[in-house]
Parts: sequence; C-alpha cells; structure tokens
Amino acid sequence: MTSLLSFSFPRFISIALFTGLSAVGFAQASTAVPSRVPVESLDVRRTQYLQRAEEMSQWRMSLYADDKLDKMDMSAMSMMLSRGLNIEACNARVLELMKEPGTGPFWMFPTTMVAYTGRDRLSTEAKAAIRDAWRTTRQLRGDTENHWVMYHTALYLMAQLYPDEPASSWANGLSSTENLAEGEGWLLDWMNLTTTIGQGEYNPTHYIGEYAIPMLMLATWAEDPAMKQRAHMMLDWIFAELATVTLDGMPRGPNSRTDDTSVVERWNALATYFSWQLFGNVPSGEGYAGWGWGNYFAVLAPYYEVPEVIYRIATDRKHDYVQHDRARSRRIWRYSDEHMRPIYKTQYLRKNYAVGSHQGGISDPIQSHVWDVTWAVNDPRGVHNTMFSMHPHSSGKVMQMFFCTFPEPMPGGVTYEGKPSYDSANKLLGCSPYEQVMQDHDTVIALYDIDPAEKFPQVNGFFSKDLQDVTEHKSGWIFARGGGTYLAYRPLAAYHWEPHIRYPNGRDPTVTEETGGRILVSPHVKNGTILQAASADEFASFAAFQRAIVALPLSFELSGSPTVKFTSLRGHELSFRYGSAPVVDGQAINYDDWKLFEGPHLNSDLGSGILTITHGRLGRVLDFNSLSITDMVVPQTR
Amino acid sequence: MRLLPVRKLLSSAPRFWRRTFLLPALLAAAAELSAASPAYDFFICANVNRNYVIGSKIETTNGLFQRDAKTSEWRHFGYNDTSISAVAFDPRDRKVIYTTTLNGIWRSLDGGETWRMTNSWDMTEGRDVEVDPHAPDTVYFALPDGVAVSTNRGETWERRERGLPERGKYTQTIAVDRTKAGRVLAGCEKGVFLTENSGHQWRQVLPTETTVNDVQQSPHDPKFWLAATESDGVWVSRDGGVTWMQFTGVPAGKAFYNVTFDPTKVKRMAVASWARGVWTTEDGGKTWMARNAGLPENARAWRVGVDPNEGRLYASIFQETLYYSDDFGRTWHPDALEGSLVNAFLFVPRN
Repeated sequence: MTSLLSFSFPRFISIALFTGLSAVGFAQASTAVPSRVPVESLDVRRTQYLQRAEEMSQWRMSLYADDKLDKMDMSAMSMMLSRGLNIEACNARVLELMKEPGTGPFWMFPTTMVAYTGRDRLSTEAKAAIRDAWRTTRQLRGDTENHWVMYHTALYLMAQLYPDEPASSWANGLSSTENLAEGEGWLLDWMNLTTTIGQGEYNPTHYIGEYAIPMLMLATWAEDPAMKQRAHMMLDWIFAELATVTLDGMPRGPNSRTDDTSVVERWNALATYFSWQLFGNVPSGEGYAGWGWGNYFAVLAPYYEVPEVIYRIATDRKHDYVQHDRARSRRIWRYSDEHMRPIYKTQYLRKNYAVGSHQGGISDPIQSHVWDVTWAVNDPRGVHNTMFSMHPHSSGKVMQMFFCTFPEPMPGGVTYEGKPSYDSANKLLGCSPYEQVMQDHDTVIALYDIDPAEKFPQVNGFFSKDLQDVTEHKSGWIFARGGGTYLAYRPLAAYHWEPHIRYPNGRDPTVTEETGGRILVSPHVKNGTILQAASADEFASFAAFQRAIVALPLSFELSGSPTVKFTSLRGHELSFRYGSAPVVDGQAINYDDWKLFEGPHLNSDLGSGILTITHGRLGRVLDFNSLSITDMVVPQTR
Repeated sequence: MRLLPVRKLLSSAPRFWRRTFLLPALLAAAAELSAASPAYDFFICANVNRNYVIGSKIETTNGLFQRDAKTSEWRHFGYNDTSISAVAFDPRDRKVIYTTTLNGIWRSLDGGETWRMTNSWDMTEGRDVEVDPHAPDTVYFALPDGVAVSTNRGETWERRERGLPERGKYTQTIAVDRTKAGRVLAGCEKGVFLTENSGHQWRQVLPTETTVNDVQQSPHDPKFWLAATESDGVWVSRDGGVTWMQFTGVPAGKAFYNVTFDPTKVKRMAVASWARGVWTTEDGGKTWMARNAGLPENARAWRVGVDPNEGRLYASIFQETLYYSDDFGRTWHPDALEGSLVNAFLFVPRN
C-alpha cells in the first residue's frame, strides 16, 4: 500500500506507550475504585485516558505471552501489530486463523482491524491469507442493527484497502468499487436515521461496543474525509448519550438491549468499559471480565479524544436533571402498522440515583429493559443496585414482528443463544405489549393489563440482595434502602416472593443459581406498580421517609383499564389510565411534541441532524448536514 | 416443494421452451417409465447448524445439496451459508442458479462455482425466489418488506409492490403460474396476492389474519393451488388462485409451514406443521390424517416434499434429521443430514 495508508500511532502517543515496552509484560488490572472528582487538567486527563487504554492492551496481550502466542486472538494481535511486537508470531497466527475464516460481522471487523494494524508489518504471505479469506468465505450480514454496522464498516474498509479489484476477488461477487459503495450506502443511511429520528439500539448495556468500535475504525482509517468526519461525529454522538445515561459510569435503564446479568448487576456490562476508558469514573473488574469487545476500542483509543463537554456531563453529579429523548424501535417487518416505532425516553438523574423509563411499547422483542431506579454505590462490582417491575412476556408472534421466523421456534431457541431467561416465568429481562409506563422525575407508574391467555400472566418485581431494611408496610407499600437512596414500591395486587436466580451459562437455560435476591411475583393480569425514590439525605430518617410516602394521596382501580391517581413526593398530581396518555398536574403528556433530545445537556430537533451538547459554558454542535463540529465556550457573565 | 413444470406445458410453451426444456423432460419421463431412471434431480436448501446464532462459528456444511441418484447420498455444492431459504434455476440453463439468504439474493452463472450478491443493502433477508418459465429473464424475489422483480436475470432489481398493502406486504413465498407469463401469486402477511402483469399490479385474492407461509401450484392441474397459512389453516383454489376455500379436514389455529403435492398421484397432498407434525390427504383434501408415527415424539415438522420420481414423501423435522416415507407417511425412516432444517425442496427435470 502507499504511504498514505500506512498506520502508525501519533508521535506523542508512541512515546508514552512504547517506553519500556520492548516485550509484552504481564499487566495487572487497576481494580481500585477511582476518584469521581473530575480531572481538571486536560493533559492529566489525556494521559490517564491513554494509560487506561494501555492497561487494557497490556492485560490483553499478557494473556498470550511467550508460549501462548500461537493462541492469540485478533484483538491481542492488533495490539501487538500496532506496537511492532512479535511480528513473526503474528504472521504465523494469521496464517493459522485464515485457514478457517469465520463468517459474519464478528469475524469481519476483527479481521479488518488486523488487516489495517498489520498492513505495514505483516508478511506478504499473511496479508495474502487475509485477502484470500475475503475471496473465499461468504460473510453473513446478520439480522440486527449492530451486526450491520460492523458488517458494512468492515466491507467498506476492506474494499478501501484493496481498491480496484475485480468482482471475482471477493466472496460476494462484487468488485472493490461495488463493495465500497454497498458499505457506504448502508452506513450513510444508518447515520441519517440515527441523527434524525434516533438510535435503534439506544442505551445498550453491551452493544455500544459494536457501534463505537466500527465508528472509531472509520474515523481512523477512512480515506474519504467526509466518511472520516461522519464517523468521528457519530462517536461523539454515541458517547454524549453514554454520558447522560450512565450513573457514575454504570449503565441504567431504560435500555434497548441488555441481558440477564447486567439488568440487575448494572456495572457488569460493556458500556461500563467505555465509561472507564473515556471518563475514568468507574472501576474495572478483575481481568476486565464482561468487557469483551472493549479490547478492540483500546487498540485505537489514541485516535479519539473525549470532548471536554462530554467528559463534564459524564462526571458532573452536582445537579439533578431531567432529559427527554426519542429513539426508535428495531425495524418491524409485520404485524404492526409501524415500520419503526418511536420510543420516548424519560431520564431523571440525581447524585444518589437515577430513574429512567421508556414509553412507546416494544422496541426489541427479547432484551429491552423498560424502566428502573438504579442507585449509586461506591464500588458497584457484584452489586445488584436496581429496582423495577415487568411483565414476563414470551411470544413467538412478537418475535415474528421483528425477525423472519415462524412463530414457534424462537422463544425456545433463543434461550440457548445467550438469552437464557426468555421463556421463563421468573425472568426480569424484556418488555411486554401489556405494560405501559409513565414517569415524572423520580416517580414511576407501571400499569399492566395482561391478556389472560398470556403464557406468564404475572408481574415480576426485582428486589435485590443488596437492599437493606426491606419493610412490607401495612399500607401496602414496600420500603427499602439502596445505598443512599430510599425506595418505596407499591404493588397494586397481591403477591408472593420467589428467589431470584441467575444463569451462569448464557447458553444453557437449565443451569441456574440463586443470588440471594427476591422476585415479587404478582399473579394478576390487572396490575400495577408505583415506585417512588428519594435521596436519604432529604429525610431525617428512613421512618420519616416512610411516613411521607404513606401520607401521599393515592387511589387506584384495577377493574377495566387499570388506573392510578397519585400525588408524588415532589408534589405532582399524576393520573394514568392504561391505554390513555399520562397526565401530570392536569396536563396530558403529548409525546408527539417531543424532540429528539431535550434537556440541559443534549438538544436536537426531530429530523434536524444537529445535536447540541452543552455543559455549563461549554458546548459542541454536531451538524450532520454540513459535517461540521463547532465548539463553543459561552463568555462568563458578571 | 417446487416442481418445475413438465407435463402441462407443451401446448402453450414457446418454441425455445419446448425445445430446450419440455421435450427433454418428457423424454426423461418416458425414460423413467422404461428404465426406472429418475426423471428429476432432487435439490434441498438445508441449514445443518443447531442453534446457530450470528457470531457463532459455522462448523457444518450448509446451503445447497443435491441427491446423488446412484448412491442416495447428499452432495453439497455451491457456498456454505446457514441462512439459505430458497433456490430457483433458469429453465434454459441449469447452471444459472438463484438462492435467497439472509444477505439477499445470490446468482450463479456457472452451476454454483461462483456467486454474486445481486441485491443492494436495502433489499435483504430474502424469503423466496422463482423464475418465470415463460420469461426466464424475469425473476421474482420475495422480501420481508415486499416483492422485487428482475427482468435481466438478476442483474438489477426493482420493487413492484403496487396493490400490496403498505403494511402487510411481508412476503414469505412467491409462486409463478406455469401457464402464463407474468402471472404470479405471493403469500404475504395479509393474504395471497395475485399479479397478472409481472408484479406491476397486485390484488388480494385470499385475505388472511396472519402470514401465508406457502403457495403451491399442482403439478397435475395448473388451476389447482394450495396455500398454507400461519393461523388460518390450509386453503385450496380450483380456478388458478382467484377464489379460495379452506380445507376443513385439516385443523387451523396453528401454523402450517408448507404444503406439497405428490406429482405421482393426483389426490395426494401433505402439509408440515411445528405443532401438528405431518398431515396428509389421499383423496384430494376431503379427509386428512396426522402421519407422525415413526417420527420423533412431538415431531416439529419444518418442511415436507415429495420426490416425483417415486412418490417418496420427505419430512424435515426441526433440528433432528430428514425423514422419508415410501407409504406416504404411514411409516418413516431417518435419512441423512442430522441436525438439519430443510428450508426448501426442489425437483428439477434432469438434463
């Protein structure tokens, strides 16, 4: 390739990274709980950011030190190639791995990363082996938006790396020019959709990596300045959202997609890696467990600089705020009048806790998480710091809305495909067409009008092992403490308790373990949950909180359409009838009026393609129409 | 099951079609009678991966298989793809093959040696494909969001969806009427739709509550069509797909995944259902019987097909194996392809 395509770290980074790294050493994860005081110095912050990327890389490479080099994976290989380490071992490993190329986006993007990090360092034979794998092995595009981001990014970059080659040299029978156009076409459409009507996989606890890594690859390696700029801006977009939807670096609800582990252990998610890497406000785990694809971001982390304004949003917990956003559902093939359903997110963030929810119905048929309150803890590792309720919906028909499948196979099939709880009565993951939610600040009302023919006609409420002082009050409220947060949970129908279980193996639904937590099971189809959260420091005592809650006006009716009238702890009169628009202080919420983003930090008009990110006097405007990034500092006023 | 037309076409077929396809086929049929040589080649689209999920390593061989008439073994050819859903051949040239997959639609011009993905990124997750035997440059492509048509052997595609509902055009299956160019039936979310001008205009001929999973034309009578639906049972048309009646002898309410005719016997038909297994009729649909004895317990039938060479009934049982029956379902025997899903059976007149 020409020198224009050569890959090298920026010089200032190289000095920092390579000093004393003539060989791979065994890395020790820095597992201490970090200070959450924002780092004021830009230089210090940048140095720490690079150190974290290096820490991750050193750990990953250390897994394949010395006699294990012949087993290294593509992320470790990319790290070594970037550093010029163990090149002969990388050559040999590439030749070995390319004997049996994988298929699909999870093979494509790692291979693309090796191809680019190794383009000036791998042997001619090794590079030819990679190239030949793309000639011989058909790649599946996948069936989900994050798959398509990876697939088209890899297609685009590989076509760019090998331009002007004939159709016969690619497994899909398209020429380099055609593949580049194919990749670009999809990517531009996705970027346009996302920046005008919202993300499909919003606030994912894991899949953020599948978006951020391809965007960083494009921002680093795309030769087309426009694509490079778009990818850079998409990274800012993704991370600006991450900053607003994490609590001290932890993901919280709502989530377009999460999993059986991280829906309760909120820290235990790939999104946490990105908070750790970008903001340094959350601890890592032993061996960075659960951070899977994060390795690949670390390879290219030096090529991204966290904007000051995004860093400030992520690390500032001084002020409470409400953010209203829009997103969109997964594409709906059938059994719906909507092609993509608008999703409305409400988020309330405070120092000690966050309450979030989405309204609008099913956005993903398997892994959505509609609402929760998540409380802050100093060390969140292993802590189940969240509370919510949900209807355990399992339906082949709903699967068919979103996938090309027959009605019967998927509900059971997905339980062996990383979604072990899907077809279980006691699950805590997923959303239901029979749940409607309203949120006002730190109050959530969830109503259920469940079809009696449903497979699991019940409501499950999650009560963590880490709650303290759980009290079933004669008023019907259940009180509890989570960290510095007081919680009041009101089931509207009778219930009993069952143990909360986890799935040690995501691909085997038959093996479970009890966690010590409980599930409140309310086996009634007309049902509801009211949740009110508050900071402990708002009350003289836990008892005072309980008295305040019991004194709040509340009436509800479950026959017919479930209806609740409740005056919240914040003094707002909330009225919510299943099937009708929620009413706050006499005013019905009109979701049609909602912007794409609206809040103190993120603002965007629907359809505009312009996101304004602000914190204090700082601002950044991402304008996808002009492909411009504009940074602003509002002058200080006296 | 798809059976490329042979017996009923002669009078209406264009000259090239008669010369290149029908006559050889009839000759082959005659040869079958005299020498017991198969008149048809037998192809399946099979996914042999249990619980494959995107990102998993594909450790098995999937895609197109052809049955070796001499050894009765399945010979894989073409690519390895876990997502294949249908196949069609150009009747003029067996080497021209179309397959639908997750990526879209692939075409081979050399008998499966090389392939080209002919769709763009906005036409994916192909469900079915058919070639118009009277206009073999015209190919119909069923999509989860409608129908695309190519008039140049898959070089380019255009959407032809006028008359299909804006919401409700999920198209699971597409079938070309062998009696008339441009006459096509599509099984969609909201029923069976018919076009008589190559997809330029569609009209609903059978409304359904849920998706039509299969539409097939009888090899014996081109006016006779069957439709298998998700929740509305099995339907029959005796006027070329214009009007439809429900078969009352086969229970509705649970999905039927496909339907097949027995080309060797006029009144034999079979349907596959996850919930009900294999059901057959031998009296033209008046009475139906569950034919699951000998299949795995609670057999989840994925597809059925009948070999026109000998009337052998095949059933693909979900992730079990392929089974066959020489007495139309009374007894079953396991065949090869353990752990497979057969997504399509296709019998093509031998070259």
